Amino acid sequence: MAQPTDHKRRSFIYRQLVSAGAEFTSLADAAVASRYRNEGDARKLGIADLSPLPRTGFKGRQALDWMAEQDVAASPHNNLANLQPDGCLVARLADTEALVLSDLEAKSTTVEKLNALEPGVGCYPVPRGDTYFWFVLAGIHAPDCLLKICGVDIRPHKFPNHSIAQTSIARLSTIAIRDDRGSTPAYHLLADGTSAAYFWSAVLDAMAEFDGRPIGLESLIALN
Amino acid sequence: MRLAAPFGSLIDRDAPVTFTFEGRTYQGFAGDTVASALAANDVWLISRSFKYHRPRGVLTMSGDDGNTMVQVGQEPNGLADILPIHDGLAVMGQHYSGSLVADRDRWIEKFSSFLPVGFYYRAFFKPKGIWNFWEKLVRAKAGLGRVDTSTPHGYYDKAYAFADVAVIGGGVAGMAAALEAAKADVEVVLVERQPMLGGSLNYTRIDVEGTSGPALVQELLGQLRAAKNITVMTEATCTGWFTDNFLPIVVANRMVKLRAGQVIVATGAVEQPAVFRNNDLPGIMLGSAAQRLIRIYGVKPGQRAVVACYGGTGYGVALDLLDAGVEVAAIVDLSATPTDNPRRQAAVDRGIEVLQGYGLREANARRDGAHLAGVVAAPITGNGELADEQRAIECDLLCMSTGWTPAASLVAHAAGEVSYAERSGSFMVRAVAKNMQVAGAVSGEWVVDAAIEEGRQAGAAASGQDANPVPVPRAPDDRPPQPWAIFPHEKGKEFVDFDEDLTVADIRNSVAEGFGDIELVKRFSTVVMGPSQGRVSALNALRLVQSHAGRPLEGARGTTNRPPVTPEKFGHLSGRGFEPVRLTAMHDRHVEADAEMTVAGAWIRPAYYGADREQALQDEVMCVRNNVGLIDVSTLGGLDVRGPDAAEFLDRVYTLSYARQQVGRARYVLMCDQSGTITDDGVACRFSDDNFYVTTTTGGSDAVYRTMLLWNAQWRLDVDITNLTGGLAAVNIAGPNARAVMEKICSEVDLSAEAFPYMGVRLARVADIAARLLRVGFVGELGYEIHAPAGMGEALWDALMDAGAEFGIKPFGVEAQRILRLEKGHIIITQDTDGLTHPHEANMAWALSRRKPFYFGRRAIAAQMKRGLTRKLVGFTLAEPDGPLPEESHLVVRDGEITGRVTSIVRSPTLNRPIGLAFVAPDQSETGQSFSIKGHGGRMIEALVAPVPFYDPENSRQEM
Repeated sequence: MAQPTDHKRRSFIYRQLVSAGAEFTSLADAAVASRYRNEGDARKLGIADLSPLPRTGFKGRQALDWMAEQDVAASPHNNLANLQPDGCLVARLADTEALVLSDLEAKSTTVEKLNALEPGVGCYPVPRGDTYFWFVLAGIHAPDCLLKICGVDIRPHKFPNHSIAQTSIARLSTIAIRDDRGSTPAYHLLADGTSAAYFWSAVLDAMAEFDGRPIGLESLIALN
Repeated sequence: MRLAAPFGSLIDRDAPVTFTFEGRTYQGFAGDTVASALAANDVWLISRSFKYHRPRGVLTMSGDDGNTMVQVGQEPNGLADILPIHDGLAVMGQHYSGSLVADRDRWIEKFSSFLPVGFYYRAFFKPKGIWNFWEKLVRAKAGLGRVDTSTPHGYYDKAYAFADVAVIGGGVAGMAAALEAAKADVEVVLVERQPMLGGSLNYTRIDVEGTSGPALVQELLGQLRAAKNITVMTEATCTGWFTDNFLPIVVANRMVKLRAGQVIVATGAVEQPAVFRNNDLPGIMLGSAAQRLIRIYGVKPGQRAVVACYGGTGYGVALDLLDAGVEVAAIVDLSATPTDNPRRQAAVDRGIEVLQGYGLREANARRDGAHLAGVVAAPITGNGELADEQRAIECDLLCMSTGWTPAASLVAHAAGEVSYAERSGSFMVRAVAKNMQVAGAVSGEWVVDAAIEEGRQAGAAASGQDANPVPVPRAPDDRPPQPWAIFPHEKGKEFVDFDEDLTVADIRNSVAEGFGDIELVKRFSTVVMGPSQGRVSALNALRLVQSHAGRPLEGARGTTNRPPVTPEKFGHLSGRGFEPVRLTAMHDRHVEADAEMTVAGAWIRPAYYGADREQALQDEVMCVRNNVGLIDVSTLGGLDVRGPDAAEFLDRVYTLSYARQQVGRARYVLMCDQSGTITDDGVACRFSDDNFYVTTTTGGSDAVYRTMLLWNAQWRLDVDITNLTGGLAAVNIAGPNARAVMEKICSEVDLSAEAFPYMGVRLARVADIAARLLRVGFVGELGYEIHAPAGMGEALWDALMDAGAEFGIKPFGVEAQRILRLEKGHIIITQDTDGLTHPHEANMAWALSRRKPFYFGRRAIAAQMKRGLTRKLVGFTLAEPDGPLPEESHLVVRDGEITGRVTSIVRSPTLNRPIGLAFVAPDQSETGQSFSIKGHGGRMIEALVAPVPFYDPENSRQEM
C-alpha cells in the first residue's frame, strides 16, 4: 500500500485522511486516498480528497484560444464546464480563464502536456495543482449539505450538470462545479490549498446530519 | 385534568413523558408543552411578573405573550406555552425570591404608588454619586431569568433555502395559497410555526357542531400531501422580512435563510385581552388559549368559566367549554345587541346565561392570590364606562374573546402600511410591498370560505397565474364599531402590557407628561418593549394614547415594527462559526518540532520552538548568526506579474524603477497608497523580460493583489496578475552555513557569491523540486529564500533539515526572525509604520524614484515634504542597558508632550544590549541625541538615538 510520504507531492490534508482510516494508491506523482476502513456511502453522501490528482489552469486574453489550439475545448459560456473525450473536465471561469481537471483515474495526459508547453504572450499558466485543494462532495444529500454552507442555489433542478459557481462556501472563496457521477449528484470543490484542513473539517461537520463520511477514489469512480 | 379523545389532537397518550417543574415531578405526553402538561396537572402558576412579581400563568398558549417565561437549565426565558416537554426536562420558574409560590419580592407591589411610569428616569441620580448605591439594588431586582456565563456554546447552524413562492402561515388561507401557487409548477415553501398545519381551525369552533373546521383542515392536508412541489416546514418561525424577500426561518437550532421570489403573508391574527382590574390573574386567558388547551392538548382549562366576548367567537369558546365538561357560568357579551350567529343560539339553548352589553369591572383572586376566584361584570354605559349595577360571578376560568389584531409584522417589515381601522376595531393592512401578497385573517378576512378563496387568489397572483394581486385593504364591513374592552378602575391594576406591568394609569400619565405620540409613550413607559413586543398590548396601548392625547384613531399607526417577530437566540444569529484558517505546507512539521504557534491574520505560524521561550529565542537567533537556521516564510504573498507591460505596471504601483531591472535580479519594492502612506513592501524578482515574481508582506498579500487587479483593470496594460500565495511554499535558509547546506541538494546552480550574488534570483531544482531561489537577506545573514510548489513544501522542508543536520541546522520562528531583522534595522510594515507613515518619516527616501513621472502616492509625498517632517523613525538604544525595557507602543515624551512612540524593542542576543526603533520629533533624531520613553508605571527611561543597522552595517554578512 502506498503512503503519502512516498512522494514529494502530498495532499494538503494527508494526515487527516490517515486518521480517518484512508488507504492510499499512487497515482500520477502522488498518493490518493483510494478507500477507507470505515467508508461512507458515496451514494448518500461522501467527500473525497482528489488534491493529489493533476490539474492546471490558464489565464489571459489568449488563454481560451491557446487551449483550443491544443485541442482542449472550453465551453462557449462562462461558468460552464466541458467534458473532454479523454475524461478531463475544462471549467471556463471567465472570458480569460479556464481550469483543467484530470479524469479521476489520471489516465489522461492532457494536464501534463499543457503544463509542458510555454503558451506565450496573452496566455499564462496557473499552477492550480498547488494553489487549490480539490475535493468532491457526492451523494443524494450533497445538495442539502452544500445548502448549509453555500448561499448559491446549487440544487440539481436549478444548477444543471457542469454548471460552475464561484462563490463563498463556509466563508472560503470556492469554485464549485457540478459533475454528477452517473445518476448521483457530485460537486467538485476547489479553493485555497492552505485552508484545506479547515474546509475539510467544516464540510465534514455539515455532512454529519446526513451520516456523510470520507470516501475513497474507488467509491467515487464506482458511482459511474 | 385530561380530556378524553378526540380532544388532544397533538398529544400521544401512548408516550408518557416525565419532567420536573420547580423541583417537582410531573407527567405529560409527547406533544405537550410545559404549560399544557402543567395545566393537565392543575398547575397554573408558571412565572412572576417583571415589576410587581404578580403571579402569572397561561395567557395565549401560542408563545405570543411573556407570562410563561421559564428557566430551562442554563437557558432563561423559554416560553412554557410553546416549549415541548421531553423526558428529564427540568424547568424552573424565574424572577422570584424564595419560591415561585411564595415570592418574597411580592411586597414590591405595595409600593406601586411610588413607582409611577418613568420613575426610573427621575430617581437614582441625585445627589451626585447616589447611583452607585442604587445600582446594586436595581441590578439585583432587574432582569429576567438567570444568565450563566459559563454556559457552553450550543450547536447552532444555518442553511440556505430557495423558493419561487414562500407562504408564511399554515392556516387555511396559507394552505390554499400554497396549493394554488403549486398549480403553476413553481417551487413553493409553506412555513408554519406551530407543529401542525391548519391554523386556527385546529382549535376554534366555526360551527355549532364543531366538526367542519377539522374536516376542512384534513381535506386541505390531503391535497398538500399530493402536491409534489410544496415543501412544508412546521415548528418553523419566520422572524422577519428583509430586502428582496430574504426570510430568516428559525427551526429548532437552525436558522434557514430563505430567498423567495414572492411572499404570501398568511400569518393570521392574534387574539387580544380585555383590560380590567386584575386581568392578569392565572385562570384568565384568551378564549383561543382555552380552546388550544382543550382541542390540541386535551386539557380541561377550569371547572367554572365565564366567557367575555364580542358575539360569535366567544360563543364557540363557550360551546367548547361545555363539551369539555366545564360549567359556563355566564357569557359577558360586550356587544350592545345580540348577533344572529347560530353558535349564540346554541349556547343559549344549552342553558348558558348571556349578559348582553356587559363589561368587566374586575377580577378577584383566591385567598392565596394565585388564581382567579371570580369576576364582576356590569352593563356598559359608554366607551370604558360601566354602570354601578354589577354582577359578581364565581369562576376559576375567564376566557377573553375580545378582539383580534392582524399578525402583520412581516408586512410592516417590508414597508407595507398597517394602521388602525375604527370599523374593524383593530389594526388593518392597508398596503403591501411589491412581490408580497396577504391572505386570510392578517388582511381582515375572518370568514373561512372567503379566507380560502383569498388564499387561492394570492397563490395565483404570486405564481404568475393571475396578474391581479389580492386587494388591500379589505372593503370595510358594515358592522358598527364595538366598544373597547378597556375598563379603567379607580383602584388600578388594569394591565395594558403584562410584560412591564403597565396599567391604564401608566399610559394615561405618560400622555399627561407630554408624551403624546405612541412612539414617545413607548420609550417613556416601555409599553410594547417587553418580551411579547406588543403582540397582546399594542392595540390597547394605541387606543389609550390616541384617546388621552385627543387624536383620531382611524389611520393611526402603532410603533415601528422591526425584526425579529419573535425572540431569536444569539445562537441562531451567529450559527456555526466559520473562521477559515490558513496553514502552510510545513505546519505539521512545526507542530511535531514542538513549536509554539501564533496567529498572523488568517495564518498560523510558529513563534518559536520549545517550551522555554527565552532560551528558544536565544538559541534560534544565535544559530542563524553563527551557523544556519530555517524558517517557514510561506505566508509571504507571492504574485506573478506577467506580460509585455509587466515592468511598466510595477513602475506605477511601486516607488522604485523596474524597467531596467536585470533578469535574474531582485529589487526591493515599496508600495504607498495615494495619500503617500506606506502600505506594503517586498521584492520584485525578474525571471524574464515580461515575468516578475513579486513578494508581499504576510498581512498585505490580499490587499496588494486587490490593488493590482483594480489598477490593471483601469490602466488596461498588457499584463496579467496571478496570486500564488497559497500555491507556493517558501522557506528562508539563513546563516553562514546556508550555502554549504544548499550545495548538498541544489547542484543545478553555481551558488558561489560571484555566480549567484546577493539580490540574485534563479530558477532551479532543490532536492529535485522545481523552485524559485531568491538571495535576499531579511535577517542579515547569507541566505536563500526557496519558493516551491505548496504540494511539495513538506518534502522541501524535510530535505533541507536532512541536509543541514550535519551542521546542526535549527528551525527558527517568527519571534527570532523579528529580533534578527531588528538587529539589521529592517522595518516591518504596519509594526514600524502606521496608517499615516510616509516614506520620509521611515527613512525610506532611498526607495523613492526621482526619475519616474508617476507612482502611487508620489504627489502626496511631495506635498508632505513641503510641509516638513513632524516625526522620524530612528534606531535607539538605552542609556542604562541593564535597566527596565520599555515595550512597543510606549510613548516618547518631552516636556509632557508626546513626540513619538516605540515601534520595536528587543534585548539583542547578538549585541547583548537593548535595541529598538521609535518615532521621535525631527529635532530629536540625530545620532547620539537622547529622548525619554514613558515606561511601565510612568517610569521615564532614557534612550539614545543610534545608527542603524545595529548589526553588520557593512552588509558583509548577507553578501558573503
